[in-house]
Amino acid sequence: MNLLLIFISAAVVNNYVLTYFLGLCPFVGVSKKIGPAVSMGLATTFVMTMTATVTWLIYHLILVPLKLEFLQIVSFILVIASLVQLVEMFVRKVSKPLYDALGIYLPLITTNCAILGLALFMVMKQYDFIEGIIFGFGAGAGFTLAIVIMAGIRTQLELADVPEPFKGAGITMITAGCLALAFMGFAGLI
Amino acid sequence: MSNTARMIIVLTIAAILSGAILSVYNFYTYPKIQAHRQTELEKAIFEVIPDAEEYKKLELGEKVYYVGCTKKEKELGVAFLAEGNGFQGKISILVGMNMDMDTILAIKILEQVETPGLGTKIVDDPSNPEDRKWFTNQFKGLRALPEITYVKNEKPSKPGQIQAITGATISSRSVVEILNNAIKENREIFLKR
Amino acid sequence: MSSFKTSLAHEFTKGLWKENPVLRMLLGLCPTLAVTNSAVNGLSMGLAVIFTLTCSSTLISLIRNIVPKQVRIPTFIIVIATFVTVADRTLAAFFPTISKALGPYVPLIVVNCIILGRQEAFASKNPVHRAIIDALGMSIGFTLTLTILGMFRELLGAGSIFNLPIMPESFDTWLVMILPPGAFLALGLMIGIANWINSKLGIKS
Repeated sequence: MNLLLIFISAAVVNNYVLTYFLGLCPFVGVSKKIGPAVSMGLATTFVMTMTATVTWLIYHLILVPLKLEFLQIVSFILVIASLVQLVEMFVRKVSKPLYDALGIYLPLITTNCAILGLALFMVMKQYDFIEGIIFGFGAGAGFTLAIVIMAGIRTQLELADVPEPFKGAGITMITAGCLALAFMGFAGLI
Repeated sequence: MSNTARMIIVLTIAAILSGAILSVYNFYTYPKIQAHRQTELEKAIFEVIPDAEEYKKLELGEKVYYVGCTKKEKELGVAFLAEGNGFQGKISILVGMNMDMDTILAIKILEQVETPGLGTKIVDDPSNPEDRKWFTNQFKGLRALPEITYVKNEKPSKPGQIQAITGATISSRSVVEILNNAIKENREIFLKR
Repeated sequence: MSSFKTSLAHEFTKGLWKENPVLRMLLGLCPTLAVTNSAVNGLSMGLAVIFTLTCSSTLISLIRNIVPKQVRIPTFIIVIATFVTVADRTLAAFFPTISKALGPYVPLIVVNCIILGRQEAFASKNPVHRAIIDALGMSIGFTLTLTILGMFRELLGAGSIFNLPIMPESFDTWLVMILPPGAFLALGLMIGIANWINSKLGIKS
């Protein structure tokens, strides 16, 4: 039950993009069409789950026992960067179709603040190992949901008559605002 | 020097320097950060056990209690942490109770992530300028047995009853539920000590 | 790349408007939206970024000829993360209230694209004094945007600016402005207005 709550909380109630504003670069950059948005979402979910696992281990098995919590930021970011590289190499070796689908999105994920944000939030919320993994997976699922919905809206928006200065970034932000408003409706779930 | 060697050397030096600088800086700031946390906790303890002049830390199993007393060691009340889910995330409350744990002395909400402007009224309600902390103040001297209840849109009429905030019923209800659960659980542990 | 003929003054002012990191280049959106629910928070976040960006740019520019190209990015990240940790610890030790309000968004400066972007595009290719001027211009442009956005949201959402009540008592606050959706709406409006001003001035985006 508790795990389900964590999942729902991370995926919809405290949606990473729409309430924590994490991962906005890909959210704005890769949400023009539905196809790439789905791939980006899946790649992020994958890396988020991995990151939650690895950073939990690093934090609780290395940093805490050695009283090195202050190296948290430096070590997390390096771990994430190398993890993404490893995942990329691994996916390329193991599955060609998967690599074709996710490949170009993986390097972009290193600079996605949602990943580091996830690691920091996980430590802050003091989750245990399993909870941490579920939290990472939930956050990824929420990110996928948000980016895919956004892509759907934007394909429709292309046909709309938007005032010149608001074309592009302006209207995207305002759409995201409406989406965030809708997501606030989930707040009572937990 | 080969390029690979140079890469490794540069990265290693960067990492070592970074670690060294941060260790030194941490050594310098850590006591200050800890001190802030300590003062914050102490302030909260004296807030929820109003007449206490000093406090003793008491550990029973995994639970931590702070017993507030006067300078003459007369025990006035006990403070403990109550945590649970609110509308959007965790709410953590420091509860002060009398030594028999049947009446609340005062509560202080330490952490919450409720909706700004609505749920946050449990901490601070700007729409009621005379008493912005009216919600938590309702708990002062409130009888906690058999359990705390709440009413909506009317003044509380029975003992152990409080009024929920209009527009933030779920946050108000969460606070009541968190308190009821925590008091029930801690009563059993604390009274057996 | 900007040529060496461009004046230092230009290097500074480009960050304020023409290449404003938030409004024109859409970088660093995460802190922009997350912490601007009040003017004070926006300003403090801006100051933390000024500190981190200026320090990192200075150091990166100084060591730009030592670092081999292949390990450029990891080195930048280590440097940035170190300065961010210093900023984070300083806030926690001396300004605990601000540190609490900004929460994990201070550590997240590490992945703020503005910082890494400026190292990659500017500091690693330019002498120290230019790198510093560029960093100051960019981060001050960022700070100004955040402060204005924070003031706007605080004014409508809480009826005050920098915690000073401005609106008359009868003003019903627009709660949505200090909630997440308000952040998106306000930034969308600001970007639209900036584009409109630019089109009047004849500056191309």
